[in-house]
Amino acid sequence: MVKRKLGALEKVEADLPNLQHKIRRDPKSYIEDFRAQHYQYESHREIFMAAPSSATDTGVISLRDLIDFISHVADCYPDICKDFPQQLIDMLMQHHLLLETELREKLVGSLVLLKKKDIIDSATLLHTLFPILVSTPSKTLRALLFQKILSELRTANSKTTNHKLNRTMQTVLFNLVTSDRTSAKGLWAIKITRELWKRQIWTEAKAVEVMKEAALSLNEKVVIGGVRFFLGGDKEREELEDEESDEEVSVGQVKHQLTINKKTRKKARVAEKAIKAARNKERKKGNPNPLNFSALHLLHDPQGFADNMFFKHLQNGKSKLNLEQKLQVLQLVSRLVGLHKLHIMPLYSYFQKYLTPRQPSVTSFLASLAQASHDLVPPDVLEPLVQKIANEFVSEASAGEVATAGLNAIREICARQPLAIEETLLQDLVMYKKSKDKGVMMASKGLLSLYRDVGAQMLKKRDRGKEAAMSLRAGERQERRYGEQAVGEIQGLELLAKWKDEERRKKNIENGLPSDAEDDEVENDEADWAAWNVEDDSDSDVDGEWINVEDDVDIVLSDSEDEGKPASKKAKQEEEAKKDAEKESEADKVIDFMKLATTRILTPADLAKLAELRAQAAADATLPGNKGRVAAPWTSRHTDDPLTAEEIEGLAALSAARATREERIAHAKEGKTSDHMSKEARRKERKEEAGKSSTNKEKARKKNFLMTLGKARSKNKRSLVETRAVLRAHVDRGKRGGRRGNVGQ
Amino acid sequence: MGSSSKRKKDKQKDFQKPKLKVGKTKAKPDNYTDTSFKAKSIVLTQQSLHLVAPTSNATFTHNLSLLNVKSDSQRRDSLAYLTTTISSRPVNSPLPQPVSVILPSLLPLILDGSTSVRTQLLKLLRTLPPGDIEDHVAQLLPYVRAGMTHLGADIRSSAVEILSWMIEAAGESTVSCAGGWIKTLNCFLSVLGWHTEESSQWSSTRASFGKSGTQGKPMVKTLGALALFLDSGIGKPFTGDADNEMSGEDESADWPFPISQTAQHMISDSSTPFAYLNLFGKPRDEEGEMYETREDRFRVFATRFQPAIERGLKSAREEGGEIGRASSGVSKVLKEAIAYGPGP
Repeated sequence: MVKRKLGALEKVEADLPNLQHKIRRDPKSYIEDFRAQHYQYESHREIFMAAPSSATDTGVISLRDLIDFISHVADCYPDICKDFPQQLIDMLMQHHLLLETELREKLVGSLVLLKKKDIIDSATLLHTLFPILVSTPSKTLRALLFQKILSELRTANSKTTNHKLNRTMQTVLFNLVTSDRTSAKGLWAIKITRELWKRQIWTEAKAVEVMKEAALSLNEKVVIGGVRFFLGGDKEREELEDEESDEEVSVGQVKHQLTINKKTRKKARVAEKAIKAARNKERKKGNPNPLNFSALHLLHDPQGFADNMFFKHLQNGKSKLNLEQKLQVLQLVSRLVGLHKLHIMPLYSYFQKYLTPRQPSVTSFLASLAQASHDLVPPDVLEPLVQKIANEFVSEASAGEVATAGLNAIREICARQPLAIEETLLQDLVMYKKSKDKGVMMASKGLLSLYRDVGAQMLKKRDRGKEAAMSLRAGERQERRYGEQAVGEIQGLELLAKWKDEERRKKNIENGLPSDAEDDEVENDEADWAAWNVEDDSDSDVDGEWINVEDDVDIVLSDSEDEGKPASKKAKQEEEAKKDAEKESEADKVIDFMKLATTRILTPADLAKLAELRAQAAADATLPGNKGRVAAPWTSRHTDDPLTAEEIEGLAALSAARATREERIAHAKEGKTSDHMSKEARRKERKEEAGKSSTNKEKARKKNFLMTLGKARSKNKRSLVETRAVLRAHVDRGKRGGRRGNVGQ
Repeated sequence: MGSSSKRKKDKQKDFQKPKLKVGKTKAKPDNYTDTSFKAKSIVLTQQSLHLVAPTSNATFTHNLSLLNVKSDSQRRDSLAYLTTTISSRPVNSPLPQPVSVILPSLLPLILDGSTSVRTQLLKLLRTLPPGDIEDHVAQLLPYVRAGMTHLGADIRSSAVEILSWMIEAAGESTVSCAGGWIKTLNCFLSVLGWHTEESSQWSSTRASFGKSGTQGKPMVKTLGALALFLDSGIGKPFTGDADNEMSGEDESADWPFPISQTAQHMISDSSTPFAYLNLFGKPRDEEGEMYETREDRFRVFATRFQPAIERGLKSAREEGGEIGRASSGVSKVLKEAIAYGPGP
C-alpha cells in the first residue's frame, strides 16, 4: 500500500472546508471557532492592506482561503460579518490593479456568492463590478466580470422583470456612452446591451437609446458596435429563440428511455426536469405573446437619429471610418429612411458619387440606395440616380453581371417609388429581356413584370401583357400619383370571406337545401351566425373562456346592429352569384370582403383562421404545379427585412461567362454521392451502418480459407456410412428447426 | 490468405535494415524530432564561481533569502544558521543586517506549518536585541494575532509564546501600538473561548474543532501570556524605566535648572513619535486605534473586557489543577490593576 501524501493543511488540522461543513450543520456550536477565523481573517487583511502589492505567502492558510470560507458561512453569523461585504468591495475597488489574479477572482466570486445569499443586493454588486470592468487592463478579469454581470442581470430578471435594476443599469450604460464619446469604453455598454437584448431581458426603448448614443459616438469601434446592433440585433434574438425551442428534450422519449435503461436517481431527475420544462412551456403557450418590437421601431425620433448619423459619419470629411464601416452606417441610415419614410435629401446626392461599376462593393451601395427610396421621396430626386445607374451599368458593352446588378437595383428602386423612372428609359431597359445573357434577361423581365403591376401605361403596348392591357382598357388601373396612399386593408381578408361563403354553402347542403338556397334567408342566416361562432370556438386552440367572453360581445353587437340589413345584402349577393357566378366582377369582391371587416368584429377565432388561410395560400403559391402567377419576390418580402447586396447581384451567377467548367460540374454534382455503388452494395453499407449483424451465409463466405481446409479434407475421407449419418442429421436438424430446436419458443 | 500475407509483409518492413550508402548522410529514423531552433541571441546566466569563499555577510544574506523555500528542513537550517551567526557575533558589534531587513522575511514564518521551524524562529527572535524590536512591534502584531487564531493548535501556542517574548522585549509598545490593545485582547478571548457566557462555562457542550496540539497545556501557556499582557497594559505603574513619564523626569534631571524644560523640546527618541496622528495610514476604527496611556487602556478594558475575563477566570479557577493555578496569576494582576483604578 502506498502511503497517502498529506496536504499541508491536513498536517496542522487546519481544514477550513471541514469547519465550513460543520458550521453549515450547526452554526451555534461553532461560533467560537468562526469568531477565531474571523479574527484570523482580520489579521490577514491587516497584513495584506499594509502592503497590497507585495503579496507575501502567509503560511498554510492564505487570505484567499479565508475569504472563501467566510463568504460561504457569512449568512450564519450576520452580526459578526456585517462589515465583511464592504471590506471585500473596498479591497477590490482600491487594489484591483495590484492584486494577484487568484485573489482577485476569489474576491469577485465571493461577492457574487454574497449576493446569492442575499447579504448584498444586486445593485451594490453591479455598482462594484461594472466600474472595474470598464477600467481594468486585465483581459481575464474583464471576461470574468462580464460573465458575472450578465448572469447577475439574468438571474435578477428570471422570475419577473426587475424594472428598477434594469433602469439603473441602463442609466449607467447610457452615461458611460455619453460621458466620453471618444473613448472605447462604450464597447462594454454595447456588449452588455446586445447580450441582454438577444436574450429578451431588455426589450425597452431605453436599451435602444443606449445603442443609439453608441452609434453616434466618435470612436469608430463603438459606432460600428451600435450600428451592427441595429442591423443584426433582432435577427440574433430570433435565432436564439429558435435554438432554445429546438434544444428541448421530448418528454415521450425521456419516458420511454426510463422504461428501458437502468434506473438511476440521475436519470429520474433528468426525466423530472424534462417534464417540468414541458409543463412550463405548455403554460407559456397559453400566455399572450409578449410584444417584441424591433430595435428600429423602438427608436425615438428616427429622423433626428438618421440625420445625425448621416452628417456625422458619412457626409463629414473628418470621419475616420473605412469603406466597410461606412457601408454599414449607410445601410443603417438607408434602412431607417425606408422603414420610417424619412426625408434626408443630401443622402441621394451622396449616392451619386459611388454609382459606378468600378466602385468597390458597389452592389452594397445599390442595395442601400434601393432601401433608402420609398414612395414619399420626390421622383425628381431619384430620377437622375436611376438615369446614372442605367448609363453606367446597363449597356450592351458592359459585362453581364454588371448589367444584371444595375437592372436589379433599378427594379428595387422602382418597386418602392414607381415614378422614379422615365418612360423612355423604362422601355429601353425592358428591351434587354431579349438579351442572350441569362442574368440580364431575368433582371429585365423582373422589371417588366413589376411595371405590368404598378404602371402598365408606361410600357409599350406589346409589352403590357393580357391582364394589364385588359384592366387598362377597363379603366380600373390608374397611375398612382406622387404621395397617394393605397386604401388600407387587412391582408388575406378576401380569403376569409371566401372560406365563410363556402362553409355556408356546405351547411345549406347538409340541411337539405340547394347549395345556393335563398329561402328564409334571414332566419337561416341568423342561425348560422350563432352556429359559426360556436364552430369557430371548437376549431380554435385558444383558451375557451376568453373566447366565450368575446363571443358574447360579438353577438350583442350583431344584435344591436340592424339585423335585416347585412342579411339582405348578403342575400342580394347570393342572388347575383346564382345568376352569373362566372362574371362576378372584381369590384364586387372587393366590396364583399371589405364589408366583412367593416360590418362585424373579427373574433380571435376568425383571426386564427385568417392566419391559417394566409399561410395556406402562401404555400400553394410556391407549389410548382400551380398555374397561377408566382408572387414576385418584391411582394413576398416583408417591409422590415433588409435588402442585401446578394439580392442586387441576383442571378448574375447564371451569366454564362461567370461559371467555369469546373464550377458547372461542381454545380451539377451537388447533392450526388461521389462513388458509384451497386444497389446491393449500398444496401449492405446501410445495414452495416445501422449496426445490424451479418447472416451465417455471409460469415461462411468471409471465413478464412485456411480455416476451412481441414474440414474439407476430412469430408473427402468420409465413408459412405458417415456421409449418410451426416446427411440424415442435417435433415433432422432442418425439421427440428436448428441445432437447439424451436421447441420452447 | 491475401490479408495474412499482406500483414506479414507489413511486419517484415519494420525490421528491415536501412541500407547505408557511401557518401550520403544516414537516413533519419521515423521518430526523429527536429530540435534545432533559431534565436536572435542566447544568454548564458552568469555562474557564481569565485576563487574566495563568500563573506559571512554574504552567507547571512543568502540564508535570509532561503527562508521562503519550500522545504521545511531547509528553512529550519537557515534559521539555525542565522541564530548562531547573530548570537556568536562579538559583543556590541552591529547585526550583519539591520532588523528592518531581517524581520520581513521572518514574519511569515510565524504562521509556518512546521513545528521545528517555529521553535527555531522563536530562538532566533530571542537573540535579536530587544531595543530594535520596539519599533517593529506594529509589524509583528498582525502576524502574531493571525497565529493566535489559527486553526492549527500548535501554531496557536507558538504564537502565544512569541507574544510573551514580545511583551518581555517591548511590553509598552506592544500594548500601545495601533490595534495592539483591543484586537489582541479579542484574540486572547477567542483562544481561551471566553467570549460569551455560555461558551466560557466549563460544563458547556462546546464542540471544539481541530486536533488539540501535541505540545500540551496550551491553555496554561495562554493564561500566563495573558497575565503578562495585562500587567504591561494596565498593571500598576511602578517606578522604573517602564513608564514614560518617569523616564522623562529622569532625563530632565540631566538638564540643569534654567533649561530644565528643554527635554520636552528635544527630538523624541522613539522612532515614530507622531504615529498617533496617523497622518499617512487609513483612518482607524475603534479597534485599530492606538491606546497610548494606561488610563485609556484601562477605560477600554473596564467597559469591554472586564466582565468577560472575570467570568472566564472564575470558571478556570473552578476547573482547578494547573489551569486553576495559572488563572490565579491572572487574577492577581487583575486585582492589582482594579485596585489601582483608572489612574492617578
